[in-house]
Amino acid sequence: MKTLGTDYTKALVPATAADISCAQQSTFDWLASRFPLDQDPLAKLSTSAIVRREDLHEVVQALRDTPEFAYDMLIDIIGIDYLNYPGHQGPRFAVTYLFKSMRFAAHRFQLKVLVDEEDLVVPSLHDLFHIANWAEREVWDLFGIRFEGHPNMKRLLNHFEFVGHPLRKDYPAQKRQWLSTNDPLLDQLEARLRENGMELIDPIPLNTPAVEDVIKGSRR
Amino acid sequence: MRVLDRTGEKLDLLTVNIGPSHPATHGSLRIICGLEGETIKAAVAEIGYLHRGFEKMVERGTYQQVMPYTDRLNYCSAILNNIAFSKAVESMFEIQITERCKVLRVLMSEFTRIVDHLICVAAALADLGAQTAYFYYFVPREDAMIILEKLTGARLTNSFSRIGGLYRDTYEGFETDVLDFLKKTEESLSDVFKLVDRNRIFLDRTQGIGCITPELAISYGWTGPCLRATGVDRDLRKDQPYFDYQTYDFDTIVGTRGDTYDRLMVRLFEAKESISIVRQAIKRLKPGPINVSDPRVSQPQHEFAYHDMEALINRFKLVYEGVRVPQGEHYDALEAANGELGFFITSDGTGNPWRIKVRPPCLTQFAAFHNLVEGGMVSDAIACLSSINIIAGELDR
Repeated sequence: MKTLGTDYTKALVPATAADISCAQQSTFDWLASRFPLDQDPLAKLSTSAIVRREDLHEVVQALRDTPEFAYDMLIDIIGIDYLNYPGHQGPRFAVTYLFKSMRFAAHRFQLKVLVDEEDLVVPSLHDLFHIANWAEREVWDLFGIRFEGHPNMKRLLNHFEFVGHPLRKDYPAQKRQWLSTNDPLLDQLEARLRENGMELIDPIPLNTPAVEDVIKGSRR
Repeated sequence: MRVLDRTGEKLDLLTVNIGPSHPATHGSLRIICGLEGETIKAAVAEIGYLHRGFEKMVERGTYQQVMPYTDRLNYCSAILNNIAFSKAVESMFEIQITERCKVLRVLMSEFTRIVDHLICVAAALADLGAQTAYFYYFVPREDAMIILEKLTGARLTNSFSRIGGLYRDTYEGFETDVLDFLKKTEESLSDVFKLVDRNRIFLDRTQGIGCITPELAISYGWTGPCLRATGVDRDLRKDQPYFDYQTYDFDTIVGTRGDTYDRLMVRLFEAKESISIVRQAIKRLKPGPINVSDPRVSQPQHEFAYHDMEALINRFKLVYEGVRVPQGEHYDALEAANGELGFFITSDGTGNPWRIKVRPPCLTQFAAFHNLVEGGMVSDAIACLSSINIIAGELDR
């Protein structure tokens, strides 16, 4: 991960609300001179951008690696479903990214990508920010938006047998589902071992009766 | 399971599952480890065992009805969550809260921060086998619970904050109770510090264990005491001051190595700073209104509601339709005990929230958990886990 040589041990100059909106405006103007983007009409209290899906990775990388902005922390990734939202036009879903800088106290920025229901794919940012891995899994879990290039697109909060995406507006809140067994997690463990530079000679045996029970569970 | 490591050595790994219901996981977390002897070669964490669907539940009620749910996020410092949520909604209205409310919110934030840090350090020490420290901390914590009970009517799930103010003003003798609590806390802080300061067992179990570099921590989105333990001097109370924090005199506590020891010590010394902030806040407490007199958010007084038609309608509308937050989207955060606690609110202009996303500070810390524990021993993983203070309530929502 790139660090831009920020001295983190030095305290920052405190930022006021005016500084924050000024920084947002300058970030927006800088981005607008390089990428095609719109101002988000819903973010009434801040200046935030709607970027095209294909530009997202490049925009985020530019925000992170440009020394005068240095948005080096991804605060959160938020999925939103605008089904029947009053006055809403355009794609049904949106994914919002919140960034913050460790270099300038006033720097906070918000990006939004609109996602159509027919094509629920957004490029993954897991190679830019480590936290994107889990944050994107959460959005996939709750909204069903896929992140292209994500190494492990599994549910984060809900059970792995869960069907549907609960935070969509058309998911009934009272619906009940039969969930039977734990996720064995062995595939993730093997992947992690490989990441740590180990090579599997004989993988975890899955054919012992106990493990088989776990995998099969009491699924109906 | 047999693997070849980087040097070409054959290792026989044992797969061990920890949790979800393990006394050391402080809630429901699951970690699966590949062990070589007692050394963790790879670890994978799973969360979601306490997922209640907070974000789905809050969409069904009004904004005021979100408040009790926020208690259940970080149940060790419920008032901080309440304040964070009311602050987020107030920022969408762009209203200024009253002077007394500001001071009281600072006071209660720091009060609950002390309690949260006490619980975290106490539990971490108990996990290391230092049961004495646990009881030393739970004596002042019990006093804190009694004060909270007197003030809010509840011990843990306080729901003390309201949009535009607070549930009620302080009771008579509140200041004396708090000052008494601070004194006892200072004593027990120094007692426990003496117990662990030069304790060989404690130092060996915590120093150099579960290290993380500032760059990695930032990439994982760490905030709060855990990030400061790595040496990063960032605190929302200082960087983007709210509730006039810039006028209080306090220091940010920063570690050096980002190990378990630093994380616990940062919390201990931060509790001391919080004590000083509470003392300053008590001196500033001046009589005055605690709720804003804005008919959009605060209910009219009972005497008006009983005698005045307009006030009655106002009250009825606020209760049945909820606070009608202006249409739009906004993210607002404050420094909670664990780090940056933020609420992203999408409002459609009605009294029911369209979408509320919580930005829980623990999630980012737990996402980096495998980086902390790999290469260490199983028992170190337990010490690590308690030092990053995972609260399953806000982790899983």
